[in-house]
Amino acid sequence: MNNNRKIVLPGERISDKKLYLPNTFVEGEETFAAVIGMLDEEGKYIPLESRYKPLQEDTLVGIVTDVRHAGYSVDINLSSPAFISSKDFRVELNLGDIVSCKVGQVYEVGDVDFAEVKKLPPGKVIHYPPAKVPRLIGRKSSMINLIREHAGGDIIVGNNGYVWISETSNIPLALKTINIIIQKAHMSGLTDEIAQFLKNQTGESKISAQTGE
Amino acid sequence: MGGHSDLKLLVNGKRLDGRTQFDLRPIRVEVGVLHDADGSAFVEWGKNKVICGIYGPRECIPRHGADPYKAVLKCRYMMAPFSSLEEHGRSGPNRRSTELSKVIREVFENLIIVENYPRTQIDIFVDVLQSDGGTRTTCVTAAAAALANAGIPMRDMASAVAVGKADDTLVVDLAKEEDNFGQCDMPVAFSYRKKDILLLQMDGLLTRQEIETLLNEAEKASEKVYVKQADALKKVYDSKEEKFKM
Amino acid sequence: MPEEFKDLIMSHLKRDALVSSLKKGVRFDERAFDEFRKIEIQKNVIKNAEGSALVKLGNTQVLVGVKFDIVTPYSDRPDEGTLVTNAELLPLANSSFETGPPHEYSIELARVLDRGIRSAECVDVKSFFVEDGKVLGLYIDIYVLDHAGNYTDASGIAAIAALTDTRMPKVEDGKIIRTESKGKLQLKSLPITVSSIKVDNFWLVDPNIEEELAMDCRVTIATTDKHVAAVQKGKGSLTKKEFLDNLDIAFKRSSDIRKML
Repeated sequence: MNNNRKIVLPGERISDKKLYLPNTFVEGEETFAAVIGMLDEEGKYIPLESRYKPLQEDTLVGIVTDVRHAGYSVDINLSSPAFISSKDFRVELNLGDIVSCKVGQVYEVGDVDFAEVKKLPPGKVIHYPPAKVPRLIGRKSSMINLIREHAGGDIIVGNNGYVWISETSNIPLALKTINIIIQKAHMSGLTDEIAQFLKNQTGESKISAQTGE
Repeated sequence: MGGHSDLKLLVNGKRLDGRTQFDLRPIRVEVGVLHDADGSAFVEWGKNKVICGIYGPRECIPRHGADPYKAVLKCRYMMAPFSSLEEHGRSGPNRRSTELSKVIREVFENLIIVENYPRTQIDIFVDVLQSDGGTRTTCVTAAAAALANAGIPMRDMASAVAVGKADDTLVVDLAKEEDNFGQCDMPVAFSYRKKDILLLQMDGLLTRQEIETLLNEAEKASEKVYVKQADALKKVYDSKEEKFKM
Repeated sequence: MPEEFKDLIMSHLKRDALVSSLKKGVRFDERAFDEFRKIEIQKNVIKNAEGSALVKLGNTQVLVGVKFDIVTPYSDRPDEGTLVTNAELLPLANSSFETGPPHEYSIELARVLDRGIRSAECVDVKSFFVEDGKVLGLYIDIYVLDHAGNYTDASGIAAIAALTDTRMPKVEDGKIIRTESKGKLQLKSLPITVSSIKVDNFWLVDPNIEEELAMDCRVTIATTDKHVAAVQKGKGSLTKKEFLDNLDIAFKRSSDIRKML
């Protein structure tokens, strides 16, 4: 943790102006943190733990939890499943299918329109802290491309905190890498550290492949 | 309370465990101790050991119990059958645990921004693994840390401590013997920013002046408790991860 | 095991990915098929109890507390103490665990471990006699704090670890003096449970939660040095050969674990 960054707890004042940011609240003329977060060098508030709230254009990964004739219930890490109407999405889905989609219109908490719904091939879906999604993607997707490159297959990061890793990937390697990012998401210089880690790991796995381990 | 004993609780200003009148017992807070819970905390306070897990906001069950405008808060306080030095306890809720579940829930109804999550529920599970007097204030302290660890939006933090009177002396943070054989026990929880009273219970006899003194001391003590909670919450973001030790 | 817990839905596509990885000989956490997750044992964590242990098996955490009380013996065994094993799947341990009366899984867990401890004659209940009409009752309370798969074996290890930590309380005039003890509880054997599941054609020891969700069959075997003390088949079916293979693994793994106590 850099010295000029500061962790703030729920109820701590983050500005003497009204800011109306997510995960904050305003009282009088001041703004307060509602969840644990970090004030960066410029005094910008970055939540460190938060629940997922859908925003337009978000990419989501979900799992079909119910099939009805009007459409599908999909678990997208909200308190109740979202509904994809079969009118909007013509491909037939089955219980347990993994899908990716974009968030269209957001009406109120929980009510969301979907666009670009796609059924994904077999893979592993993991739960990842939604507040830390930007670090997993990285600037211009630098971090996630780095992992894709070393792990082989495809990875889709949902802003909702569900991450799909294709079965063609080196899943154990992807998991280990993502765990490091979870633990160090608030630290700087992470992309370089991960690059080094992946380099070492894939070096090792090549050696163990040769010895037949 | 009101138990009869020849036990002297204070000798020359020193309490049985060597503390002076307004000292707190050692307190250790750790957060993120559970893997599946959305947030969690472990608090060791004197010999008390309490673990708290938070789940939610999640779908409200039963559905007809949901509130269309806000999240419903649920709390379950339980004592493990092996938690006390006395005989093996019965498992399952009883009248005492039901009341404590309610007063703990009513602390956090003041703090959590429930309007953000209509039609959902937030569960606070607090389990007393070892008891030593002051379990409810330990539980409030653990639950506040666990809720912050879960990223549940709150307007303030809560920190609690029991104050009271033993051997005609006003004391802060009653140990088990002081709780059992003392004259008065008054658990209090304060919010940190606003200094609102979030939990207040009392039994025994006190004058108005004594109550005022005790509330002032409880407020000061709760700020020390807050420091422990804050340190634990911030420690998660230090580079070195330490293993959870019970 | 939680194959029926409500909101743990195993996506068939997740299962497909797991099976295809197992076909390559790889578990997602890179363990060998007959390998346990990391086991950590902390004893004497609850000083108010006569014995206790916290066991971490990977991310699964189980706390066991052991207490003695003076109780009335069963009328058909007036000179023997009693042994009661109880298990709680605490709602804070997993989002699928609910409040309310004990679930069939917590009852199964308590009964399987109880059978292992009794059959192996781990504790000598005859030594619990106090006086006519009074014996010591031994309570083993299993608290599943964090469920990330295979809470059965984590509980089994924690129960035995807690028993090895248990002190005999002093008894005077038919009453327990809890602050004084007269030595450790003597144990005749250390039964340890080992659970395996079958996913597709593969048997996996000590399954984590996602492997459990994909399981077709489960078997739990409690063994001592030489004997099998209890067996419980959960979901599914298996062949005689599969069971005997698992038995061999159970003897090996339980012997490794016993050394850690």
